[in-house]
Amino acid sequence: MLRYILKRLIQSMITIFLVVTLVFLLLRLMPTDYFFTEDELMKLTDAQMEDRLRAAGLLDPVHVQLGRFYKKLFTEFDLGTSRRLQVNQPVSKVIGSKFGISMRLGLISLGISLLVGVPIGILQARYKGGVFDNIGIAYTVFVNAVPHLVFYSLVLTLGARWLGLPSLYTMRNPGPSSILPITCLSLVSISSYMLWMRRYMVDELNKDYIRLAKLKGLSTTKVMFRHVMRNAFLPLAQYLPYNILLTVGGSLLVERFFSVPGLGPLLTDAISRYDTNVVQAIVMLYASLGIAGLFLGDLLITVIDPRIRLTGKEGVR
Amino acid sequence: METTKVVYNVDKRAIPVPEGANELYVQPLPGRPAFDFAEYSPEEAERTGSSEYSYWRSVWRNFIKKKSAVAMLIVFAILFVFTFIAPQISKFDVFNLRIDDSLMFTRPNSTFWFGTDNLGRDYWSQVWHATRTSVILAVSVSTGQILLGVLIGLVWGYVRSLDRFFTELYNFINNIPTIIYMTLIALMVGKTTVVMGVSMILFGWLGTARNIRNLVFMYRDREYNLASRCLGTKTWRILTRNIFPYLVSVIVLRMALAIPGTIAYETTLTYLGLMDISTPSLGILLRNARSFFLNYPYLLVFPAAIVSTITITFYLAGNAFSDACDPRNHL
Repeated sequence: MLRYILKRLIQSMITIFLVVTLVFLLLRLMPTDYFFTEDELMKLTDAQMEDRLRAAGLLDPVHVQLGRFYKKLFTEFDLGTSRRLQVNQPVSKVIGSKFGISMRLGLISLGISLLVGVPIGILQARYKGGVFDNIGIAYTVFVNAVPHLVFYSLVLTLGARWLGLPSLYTMRNPGPSSILPITCLSLVSISSYMLWMRRYMVDELNKDYIRLAKLKGLSTTKVMFRHVMRNAFLPLAQYLPYNILLTVGGSLLVERFFSVPGLGPLLTDAISRYDTNVVQAIVMLYASLGIAGLFLGDLLITVIDPRIRLTGKEGVR
Repeated sequence: METTKVVYNVDKRAIPVPEGANELYVQPLPGRPAFDFAEYSPEEAERTGSSEYSYWRSVWRNFIKKKSAVAMLIVFAILFVFTFIAPQISKFDVFNLRIDDSLMFTRPNSTFWFGTDNLGRDYWSQVWHATRTSVILAVSVSTGQILLGVLIGLVWGYVRSLDRFFTELYNFINNIPTIIYMTLIALMVGKTTVVMGVSMILFGWLGTARNIRNLVFMYRDREYNLASRCLGTKTWRILTRNIFPYLVSVIVLRMALAIPGTIAYETTLTYLGLMDISTPSLGILLRNARSFFLNYPYLLVFPAAIVSTITITFYLAGNAFSDACDPRNHL
C-alpha cells in the first residue's frame, strides 16, 4: 500500500511538472505585445520596449527562462510577482486574497447540496416511480438540459425581483449578497447528487443480497440504511475530496455572473492580460488540487470499503 | 379402476404415458401421429431461415411507441427548422441592425416582435440568429466529439498495448479543468468559431472514449468474439459487426447529452468572452442583457424559453431513442 501511494505521488508530481512546463511554453508563444498596456504600446519606442522585455528576461531563450522559473520555485518557493493584475504584488498574495471567498461560497453550497441532494435521491429511490420521484427526475432533466447561464439568469431574476436580494456580490455586504451565488451553485449540484444517489440506490436495490436481506425479514428502513445506502454512497464518496478541494478554485461562471471577486475569473483575467506568473501559479494550483482530490478519493473509498484494494491484480480503476 | 393413458408415436404404436406426467407431455389427436412426414426437396433443405428482424426497423417501432418522445422530437424539429425561417421573415437584417436610442427597450409590439435591446436593435432577429448559430455549432461539435470518442474508445479498448498510453493521456488531460485549456487556446490561437469548435472537439472526446473503452473491454473477450477470432474474422469486422451494435444505445445517449451540453458550454465560453462576439450568440445576448433582466424581463424570457425548449426536447427525445436502440429491449 505504501509503495502504491509513493508511486502514485511520484506520478502526480510528473503530471504537474509536465502541465506547468507545457503552460509555461505556451505562454512564451504568445506575442509579447500583451506585456504592455495599450497606453504603453502607443507611447514607447521599439528600443524602449525591447529594453523592458530584456529587463524582464523575456528575450532570453525559452529553456533559460524555464530553468530560471524552476530554480526560483524550488530554492525560494517563489512564484514571482504579478505584473498586471495587482502590480508587483507576490503571486501567492494575489491568490491568497481571493481563494477565501471562493472557498466559503463553495463549501457552503457543497454542504447544502449534500444535505439536500442525497436525502432527496434516497427518497426518490425508495418511492421509485411515484409522484415525488417523477418531480425529482423532471428537475434533474431541467437542470441538465437548460444551459447553466440561462438557469442562473432565471434564479437571478426571480431572486432579485421577488425576494429583493442583491443581484451583485459586494464586499461591504457579503452575507445577503452571497445568497444568490450560493443558491445557483447549490441548485445545480443538488440535481447531480439527486441523480447519482438515486441511480446507485436503484442499482443496489436490484441486487441479490438486498433480496436476501428482505427475505430474512429485515425492515425496509434497516435494509435501506444498513445496506443500500452505504454501498450506494461509495461512488459519490470517491469524488467528495475532489469536490471539496476544488471549491478553492471557485466556479468561473457563477463568480463572473455575480461579480464575485473569487479565484474563478482570475485565470481568464490573468491570461488575457499576459500576467504569466499568475497564470502559472493558478494552473499549478488547479492541477495539484485536482490530482490530490482524485488521489484522496481513491484512498477514502479503501477506508470506507475494505473490499476495495488499489493494488493487486485488478489494478487501479 | 385405473386406466392407463396412452399416446401414439409416429409408428402408430401406442406408448403409455409415464406416471405423474403432466398434460403437456404429448397431446396428439387421437389416432393420429404426432408428426407428419415432409416431402424431401433439395431446395427446401438448402433454404436458410432468417426472421424478419431488422435492427433499425425495431428501433423505430420501439421509439414511436413512446408518444411523448415522438411529440418532443416533433417540437424539436419544428423549432430547428424555424430557426432557419425566422431570420428570413424578420423585418430587420441581423447583420445591419440600426442602433437607435429613441427605440431602446421597446416592449414587444407588431414591428419589434420580441421588442428591442438596450441599443434599440430588433431582438427577434438577434434571438433567432443566436439560436441558429448555437444549434449548428452544437450539432457539429457534438458529432465531432462523439465520432472521435468512439474511434479512440474502440482502439483504446481493443488494442491492449495502447491501453497504457491512452490511460495516461486521459489522466493528463482530465486532471486539469478544461476551462484552462480553452482559455489558453482562445487567447493564444484565436477566438474564432472554428478554432473554438475544434478545441471543444479535441477536449470533449474523453468522456465518450472512456465509456466506450469500458464497454469494449466487457465485450471483447466474450466467447462469441473468441470464436469469431478463431475463425479468422478480421479485427475491423469484429469491431464493427460484433461489438459496435452493443454500443449504439450508449452512443445515442451520449449524443443526446452532448448537444445540450455543447450549447451550454458555448454559452459559457461566449459569456466569458472566450469566443468570437461579432455575430449575436446566446452567450452575448445574455451577457448584454445581464443588467437589464430585472427591469425588462422579456430580454431574458424569449432567448431562455427558446433555447430551453430546444435542449429539453432534444434531451428527452434522445433518451427515449437511446432506450429504443438497445437491442435488449427489442422483441
